[in-house]
Amino acid sequence: MCDTIINIVNIVGKEVVRTVVGLIGVFIVVLGNAIMLTWTERKVAGHIQRRIGPKEVGPFGLLQSFADSVKLLGKELLTPANVEKPLYYLAPTLIFVPVLVTFVVIPFDGFLQVKDINTGILVILAFSSLTVLSILIGGWGSDNKYSLIGAVRSVAQNIAYEIPLLLSLLPIIFMANSFSLRDIAEAQRGVWFVVYQPIAFLIFFVASVAETNRTPFDLPEAESELVAGFHTEYSGMRFSLFFLAEYTNMFIVSAIAVTFFLGGYQGPVLPGVVWFFIKTYALVFVLLWFRWTFPRVRFDQLLNFSWKILIPVSFLNLLVTGGILKI
Amino acid sequence: MALATKIIEEFKPEFKSVDIAEVPYEKQGYHLAIEARTGNLLNIIDFLDRRDFYIIDLFCVDYQEYLELVYFFSTHRELCRIKVTLKLDPEKPVAPTISNVYTIARWYEREIHEFFGVYFEGHPNLTYLFLHEEIGHYPLRKKHVAVPDHDKKLLNSFKPHEEENSFFINLGPQHPSTHGVLRVVLKMDGEYLVSAEPVLGYLHRMHEKMAENRSYMQFLPNPARMDYPGALLFNLAYVEAVEKLCGIEVPERAKYIRTITCELNRIASHLLWLGAFPADLGALTPFMYAFDDRENILDILEDVTGSRLTYCYFRFGGLYNDINEETFIDATKRFIERMRERLVMYDKLITGNVIFINRIKNIGILEQGQAKKYGFSGPVIRSTGMPFDMRKVDPYAAYGSIDFEIPTGHIGDNMDRYLVRMKEIEVSLNIIEEGIKRLPSGPFKTEKVPKKLKPPKGDIYNAVESTRGETGVYIVSDESDTPYRMRWRVPSYSNLMTFPHLARGVLIADAIATLGSYDIVVPEIDR
Repeated sequence: MCDTIINIVNIVGKEVVRTVVGLIGVFIVVLGNAIMLTWTERKVAGHIQRRIGPKEVGPFGLLQSFADSVKLLGKELLTPANVEKPLYYLAPTLIFVPVLVTFVVIPFDGFLQVKDINTGILVILAFSSLTVLSILIGGWGSDNKYSLIGAVRSVAQNIAYEIPLLLSLLPIIFMANSFSLRDIAEAQRGVWFVVYQPIAFLIFFVASVAETNRTPFDLPEAESELVAGFHTEYSGMRFSLFFLAEYTNMFIVSAIAVTFFLGGYQGPVLPGVVWFFIKTYALVFVLLWFRWTFPRVRFDQLLNFSWKILIPVSFLNLLVTGGILKI
Repeated sequence: MALATKIIEEFKPEFKSVDIAEVPYEKQGYHLAIEARTGNLLNIIDFLDRRDFYIIDLFCVDYQEYLELVYFFSTHRELCRIKVTLKLDPEKPVAPTISNVYTIARWYEREIHEFFGVYFEGHPNLTYLFLHEEIGHYPLRKKHVAVPDHDKKLLNSFKPHEEENSFFINLGPQHPSTHGVLRVVLKMDGEYLVSAEPVLGYLHRMHEKMAENRSYMQFLPNPARMDYPGALLFNLAYVEAVEKLCGIEVPERAKYIRTITCELNRIASHLLWLGAFPADLGALTPFMYAFDDRENILDILEDVTGSRLTYCYFRFGGLYNDINEETFIDATKRFIERMRERLVMYDKLITGNVIFINRIKNIGILEQGQAKKYGFSGPVIRSTGMPFDMRKVDPYAAYGSIDFEIPTGHIGDNMDRYLVRMKEIEVSLNIIEEGIKRLPSGPFKTEKVPKKLKPPKGDIYNAVESTRGETGVYIVSDESDTPYRMRWRVPSYSNLMTFPHLARGVLIADAIATLGSYDIVVPEIDR
C-alpha cells in the first residue's frame, strides 16, 4: 500500500501531489468554515440578543447549518425574466475563485501550506479585488435597481478601502523583509508585529471589515435601504454561494491579520495549527460582535472615513516605520 | 375659551354676513362653528391662517340634500377648535382648494374627491389617494353616484417619466423599512433623492364606511385595527366620543384604569418603534431587547383585557372588566422598576453610540413654523420644541388630575424625535405610578348604559393623544343606532405628509432614517 503511494508520488512529482492534496484540504476548510460560521453567527447573534439561537437540530443545534444547506440545495434555481443571463450565472461562481486562490498561500502551520509563493501577499491582494468584480457583474446582471446601487456602492467602497489595507501591510513587509507569508510569520518568533505596529493593525482590521462587507460597513447589502443589495435577485444555492464567500472572506481577512500581526501559527505548548485557528476565530468573533452591536454608517461617512482618516494615517505610519528602519 | 371670544370679536367686523356661533364645548368638542360660502371661504381660511391656526382635519359629510365640507382648525398654543362648514350642491360639487395655504389639504382634498366626487378648483394633482381608479362610484356618498365617464382618472400609480441622470425606485409596498405596506416612489440621482411621493391605499379597509353600517357597539373593535401598536388609545378616542355624544358619565375608577392601561400601551408602542428605528439604521439587536420589554406589557394587558395586540377593553360608560387589584398592580409596579433600569441600559447601548449619533443628528430637520401647514403632531411636533400634547391641551380620562411634564426637543431633527420618545417612556412610567397611587375604589362602569345606543341628533369631535399624535374622531348622529358619518383624524397621515418635503435632496439612507423616526403606522394612514 505504502509502496504504491510512493510510486505514484514519484511518477507525478511531489509538488503536484502536494498541490492536489492541499487543494482538497482547502475545500474542506472552506466548507467546514462556512458551515461552522453560519452556526456560530446565529449562536452569537442569539446570545447577544438575549435569545438562544438554533438548538433543535443536533446537539446545540450544530447540525442546523447542514439542514439549511440541504434545504438550499433542494430549492428551485429561480431566474428572473429580464436578467442578463451570462452575467447573472457567472457572478456566484466567480466569487469563489479569489476565495480559493487566497487560501493557497496562507500558512496554517510551519509546513502546513499549500504553496509558499514568495510574493504571497501580492497574490492575496490581487485576487481579493476580484470579489468586487463578481459583485459588480452580479448586481449589474440582475436588472434590479437595488442590486445595481448595491454593486456600485461595493465598487466605490472596495477602491476606497483597498488602499489603506495595502498601506497598513507595507510596514510589516518592511520589517520582515519579505512578501512571503511564511517568512512574515517566522519573523514574529519573538515579538508579534502588533506590538510594533498597533496603528497598522487597527487600520487593517477596520479596512478588512469594509472589504468583507460586514456591519458597520455592510452598505452593498444594506437591508433597510436596498432590500438585499447586490444579491436581491438571487435565491437558493446561488444565494448561498454569495453567503459562503462572505464567510470565507471573513476567515481570510482574519487569517491574514493573524499572520501579519498576531504571530501567525506561533504559540506555546499547543501545535501551530491549533494556535492559528484559535487566533483566527477570535478575530472572526470580533467581526460577528461588530455586526450585532453597531448600526450601519452612511455612504458618504464611509468614504470620508477612508479617504480623510485611514489613508493619511496609514501613509504617516508607513513613513515613520520606513524612517525608523532606515536609521 | 378666551381665544374663542377674541376670535368672535375680530371675526364679526371682518365678515358681516357670515354666521359664527359659539358651541357648547363639553357636548360637541369644538368651540366655534362658522358657516362659509364658496365666495368667502378663502378669506376665512386666510383670516385663520393669519392667526396661526393649523388645520386639524378636512372632510366631507353627505346630508343628501347637500354635501358639507368640514374644516377643523385649532391653534398649537391654546385650544380653540373652529369648525368651518361649506355647503355644496350634490349634483355639481365644486369647491376652491385651500392646498396653497395648508399643504396637508392636498391629501385631504384628494381623499374627498375620490370618496365624494367633490372637485377642487386649483388643486395641483387631483387624483385618487387611496382607492383604485376603476372603482366606478363614490363610496361614501349615501346614494349610488357613478363616476362620470369623462372623469375616469389616470392611474394614480406611477407613470415613470425617466429623465437623463435620474431614475425611479419603488420603495415598497414590500420593503424591509416601510413598516407595513407603504409605497414611496423615489426619483433618484445616484444615491440622492430628487423627490419622494408616498402612494397610499395598500391597506385601505374603509373603516369609515364600515362605521355607517354597524351599531355603535359593533364598531368598538374597529379602531384597534387602525393603529395596532397603540390600540387602546384609538379605542379610548372612540369610546369617549360616543360617551360625550350620549352624555354617559364614567366612574372615576374607570377613568384612572383607562389612563394606566393607555400609558402602558403607549410604552409598548414606543418600544416597538425603539426596536424598528435602529433596525432601519442597520442595528438589529435593539429590536430584540425592546421586544423583550414589550412582552412584559403585553402580558400585563393580556391579563386585564384578554388580548395581546388589538385590544378592545373600554366600553361606553366604563370598562369591560375590572382589574385584579393584586396581580395587575404588582406586575405593573415590577415592570416600572424593570423599565427604569432598562432605560439606563438603552441609553448606554444606543444613545451614546457614535455611529448612531452621526447617522441621525441634524438629519431631517422640521421647523416649528411648518407645523401649521402640515398639521403634524405628537412626538414629531414636540421634537421641534412645541409642547403640544392633547393630554395637556384637552385633558381626557384622568390626565387632568395627574401632573406630568411634556418632553420637548430643540431643533426637530431625527435625534430629537428619538430623544423625545425615549423621555416619553419615562413620563409614561411616572403617570402610571401616579395613577396607581391615586386609583380610587368604586364601580368600574356605569350600569345605566342601554344595550342599544341611540345618541341624540348632533355631532361631536373628540381627540386623544395617541402614540403618534393627535387622534380625533368626528361622529354625526341622526338618532339611529348607527353613526350617520364617522371620520377619523389620524396623526401618521399628517406626519407622513412632511416626508416628501424632508426627503428632497438627501441620501437614501437619511431618507429612510427620517421615515423611521416618524414612527408611522400604515394601517392607521390608510384606515
